[in-house]
Amino acid sequence: MSDRTSDIVMVVICSIVLLIVAYPLYYVVVASFSDPYEVYAGKTFLFPSGFTLDGYKSVFLNDGIVSGFLNSVKYTVIGTIFSVVMLYITAYPMAQKDLPGRKALSIFFLITMYFGGGLVPTYLVVKQTGLVGSMWSLFLPGGVGVGNMIIVRNYFQNSIPHDLIEASEIDGCSKLRTFFSVVIPLSMPIMAVMVVFSMVAYWNDWFTALIYLGGKGSPLPLVMRNILIKSSATASQAATISGGYAELNKLTELLKFCSMIVAALPMLIVYPFVQKYFEKGFMAGAVKG
Amino acid sequence: MKNTFKRTLTLVLASAMLVTLLAGCGGGLANNVNDGTINPNTDQTEFDIMGGMSALSKGYDNHEVLDALQASAGIKINWETMSDSLAEQVNIRITGGQYPDAFMGVGFSNYDLARYGDDGTFLDLSPYFTPEIMPNLCAILEEHPEIRAAITQEDGKIYGLPSGEQMTTAGIGAPMDEAFSIFSVPQYSMINKAWLDDLGLEIPASLDELHDALKAFKDNDMSAKYYGNAPGSTLPMTTGFDEWCWGQNIFYSGFGFTNWPNDVCNDLVLRSDGQVQFICTTDAYRDCLSYFHDWYAEGLMDVEMFSQSDSQLIAKCQQGYVGVSTWWYIEELMGDYASDYVFLPPLTGPKGTQYEGVCDVTIRPGSAISSGQLCITNKCQSPINLLKFYDQWYDGETVMQLQYGPIGVFFTGQDEKGMWLSITDDEARAQYNKSAGELRNVYETYGPKLILAEYYNEVFYMEDRAIERLTDLDQSWMPYVKDTTFYPVDCVFTGMEMETIDWHKSDFETAVREQEGLWLRDGGPTDAEWESYKDYLTNKCGMNDLLEVYQDAYERYAAAQ
Repeated sequence: MSDRTSDIVMVVICSIVLLIVAYPLYYVVVASFSDPYEVYAGKTFLFPSGFTLDGYKSVFLNDGIVSGFLNSVKYTVIGTIFSVVMLYITAYPMAQKDLPGRKALSIFFLITMYFGGGLVPTYLVVKQTGLVGSMWSLFLPGGVGVGNMIIVRNYFQNSIPHDLIEASEIDGCSKLRTFFSVVIPLSMPIMAVMVVFSMVAYWNDWFTALIYLGGKGSPLPLVMRNILIKSSATASQAATISGGYAELNKLTELLKFCSMIVAALPMLIVYPFVQKYFEKGFMAGAVKG
Repeated sequence: MKNTFKRTLTLVLASAMLVTLLAGCGGGLANNVNDGTINPNTDQTEFDIMGGMSALSKGYDNHEVLDALQASAGIKINWETMSDSLAEQVNIRITGGQYPDAFMGVGFSNYDLARYGDDGTFLDLSPYFTPEIMPNLCAILEEHPEIRAAITQEDGKIYGLPSGEQMTTAGIGAPMDEAFSIFSVPQYSMINKAWLDDLGLEIPASLDELHDALKAFKDNDMSAKYYGNAPGSTLPMTTGFDEWCWGQNIFYSGFGFTNWPNDVCNDLVLRSDGQVQFICTTDAYRDCLSYFHDWYAEGLMDVEMFSQSDSQLIAKCQQGYVGVSTWWYIEELMGDYASDYVFLPPLTGPKGTQYEGVCDVTIRPGSAISSGQLCITNKCQSPINLLKFYDQWYDGETVMQLQYGPIGVFFTGQDEKGMWLSITDDEARAQYNKSAGELRNVYETYGPKLILAEYYNEVFYMEDRAIERLTDLDQSWMPYVKDTTFYPVDCVFTGMEMETIDWHKSDFETAVREQEGLWLRDGGPTDAEWESYKDYLTNKCGMNDLLEVYQDAYERYAAAQ
C-alpha cells in the first residue's frame, strides 16, 4: 500500500472514530436547545427541533449559579494545589530506597486503599475535628490519593535517573535543593497529570460538599443538582394530583441537558491546555512501573 | 521486627474498632424512658426542629402561618429544613447523637419508628393525647378510631403524630362510608377515537376487539395516514411496565384482576372472604401473560415498554404516534391531539376461553395514615409545649393553609356556605407569575397534616383537577369494580413481622416483576417454568412467610374494627 492510500484509510478510520466519539457530545448540546419531547420522540438529529432557551434561562436566572461557579473554582484551585503538594511530599520520601520503615509505611498507605470507615464514622471524625461547614472538610479527609501517590512514586523511582540526583548532591545541593531544583522540574509531566486528575475530581465532586458543608458555599454541581431536583419535585407533585405534569416535566428533562453543558463546559475549556503534558506523563509513570 | 510490626498493627486496628464501637453506642443514650408517663416539665420554650420542605419553599423562618401558630402556643422554633438528601442527613445526625428536639416532615417508615422508639430516641406520645394538651387531635381520634389504630405500634406506643390526605369520592358527593380514594384506580386507559372512526371501528369492549383495532392501527399505519407523521411511526399501544399511572395493568382486567403497583406489597390482594393471596401465582395471571405475549410478539405492544420513562411516553403520545395508552388525564398525555382520544373502558376477556365476558378491576388502597411526619426526640425537655403547638395543626382551616398556602394568598375568599375558595391558575399567573401548583409548592409546609375527607365538604373545595379525576373514577371506572375489598394500607405490623417484610418484600417484588416482563416478552410459562417460578418465590423469596404476615396483620386489623 502506498503512503497515500494508507493515509486515506487512516483518515477515514479516524473520522469514523471521531464521529462516534463526538456525536453524542454534540447531541447533548443540540438537545439542550430542543423541546425534550421532540428529542425523546427521535426527531432531533443534527439541528435543534422545537428550539427553546427555557432550560438555560432557568439555569442562569437561578441566584445560586454565580456563587456556585465561584465556589467551585475556589475549591478546585485550592484543592488541586493541596492535593498535588500532599502527593509530592509523600511520594518523594516513599521513592527513597533508604527511607527507614519504608515497607511499613507502604502497607499503611495501602490499607487505606482497601478499607474505609464508611460514611457515618467518617462524618463523625470530620465533625469531631470541627471541620463540618468548613471548606477544608472537602480536602483534608481524602488528602493523599494513594493510587496517585503510587504512580508519582514510581515516576520518581524510574524516570528520574538516580545518577542525576547523586550528581547534584556531589555538586553541593542539599536534599531540599535537589528536590526543588532537580526533581520538580524533571517531573513536570506527572505533575500535569496529577493536576488534571485532582482538578476533574474536585470540579465534579458534589457529594462531599453535600454531606459536610451543610448547604452553605455549595459548589456548582450541587447548585445544578438543586435546580434539577426543584424542578422534578414540582413536576412529580403535579403528577399525583394537581396536574400540569407534562409541561413541568418538560423543563426537568431540558434542565438535565443544560446542566450537563453548564457543568462540563469550564472543564472542556481548561482541558486542552493541560492535555499536552497529559499523555506523556501518564505513560511515563505507568509503563516502566 | 516483622512480628513486632504485625503485633502493633493488630493492636492499632483492634483499638480503632473499639473506639468505633463506643462511638456507635453514644447515639442511643436515652434521658427519658418511654414508660407511659407524662413529662410535666414546661420550662423549654425554644425548640430546634429539623425536617423536610418543598423544593420551592423559602424555608420556615418568617412563615406567616407557622409564626402565628408559634405565637399562640408561646414557643419559638428554630427551623433547620432542607428539600433534598434529607434521609442521609437525618441518619447521620441520629447516629451521631446530634439530633434536634423533633423531626418534622421526614417521613420515617414504620420500621424506623419502631427502631428509634425502642432505643428511646423517639418519645412515646400516647400519654400526651389528652384533651388538656391536644384538644383538637383528641376530638379527631375520638371520631376516627381507625386513625389511632393506624399510628399505634403493636405494643400500644405511638411515636409520631398522624398525617394523611383522605382525598376520596366523598369530596364529590359520595356518602362518607362508601367513598373511594382517588388512588383506587390509578390507570385510565384511552384510545384514539379519530383513528377508530376513520377505520369504521367501534370502541372495543373486549380484548379481542381491542386486538383487532390495534392490528388495524398498525396495518394502516394510522400515525402516518391520519396525522401525516413519518411512515412506520405508528405505535398501536404503548405504556410503561407495572408503572403507577402509565402501566399496562388495566388491560389485565379481562382476566379478572388488575395488579397495580401497591404501597403494601405488589400483587397482594385481599379476597372478599378475608384471605390474602398473591395474584402472581394464580392461573389467571399465568393465562394473562401468555395471552399478552401474543400481542407483544405481533408488535402491537411497544418494544420499549419495559425501558421507557414517563417522559419518553409523553414524547411519543404528543407526536401523535400512539393508538392506545394509559394515564389519568387525556389532555396531559396527548397534548395537541387530546381531542381525538376517549377513555377506553376496562375490557372483557378473550372469547372461547373461561375468561369470556370476565371483566374485573381490583382496586388499591388510598394513601396511608403515617406517623413518621412528626416525631419528638428525647432531647426535648418539654414535650407538652411542643405538642400544644402541633395540636393547632389538627384544625381544618389551619391545615388547609399549611397544605396549600395562607388565606389571602392561596385562598381568596369564602362562598355563602363558608367554604374557602382557592386561587385559580389564571389569577396565580397574573398576581404571582406562577401556576397555582407552583404557588402551592412555595407555601406548602411539610409535617403532620391530617386532611380528613370531611374537610372537602366543610372547609374548602378540592382542586379542580382532583374533582375531575374523582368524577372520572366514579363514573367511568368504579362501575367495573365488582369487588371493592382491598388490603387496608393502615395495617400495623409487629416488630417481627416488619423484619420479615424488610427481609423478603423487595426480593419478592423484584423476582415477580422480572419474570412478568420476561414472560410478556418471550412467551408465557411452560408447566416446568411455572412450577420452578412458584418454587423460587416460595423458597427464595419467602412468599409463604409474607402471606402469613399479611394475613395475621389483616386479621388483627379486622378484629379491631
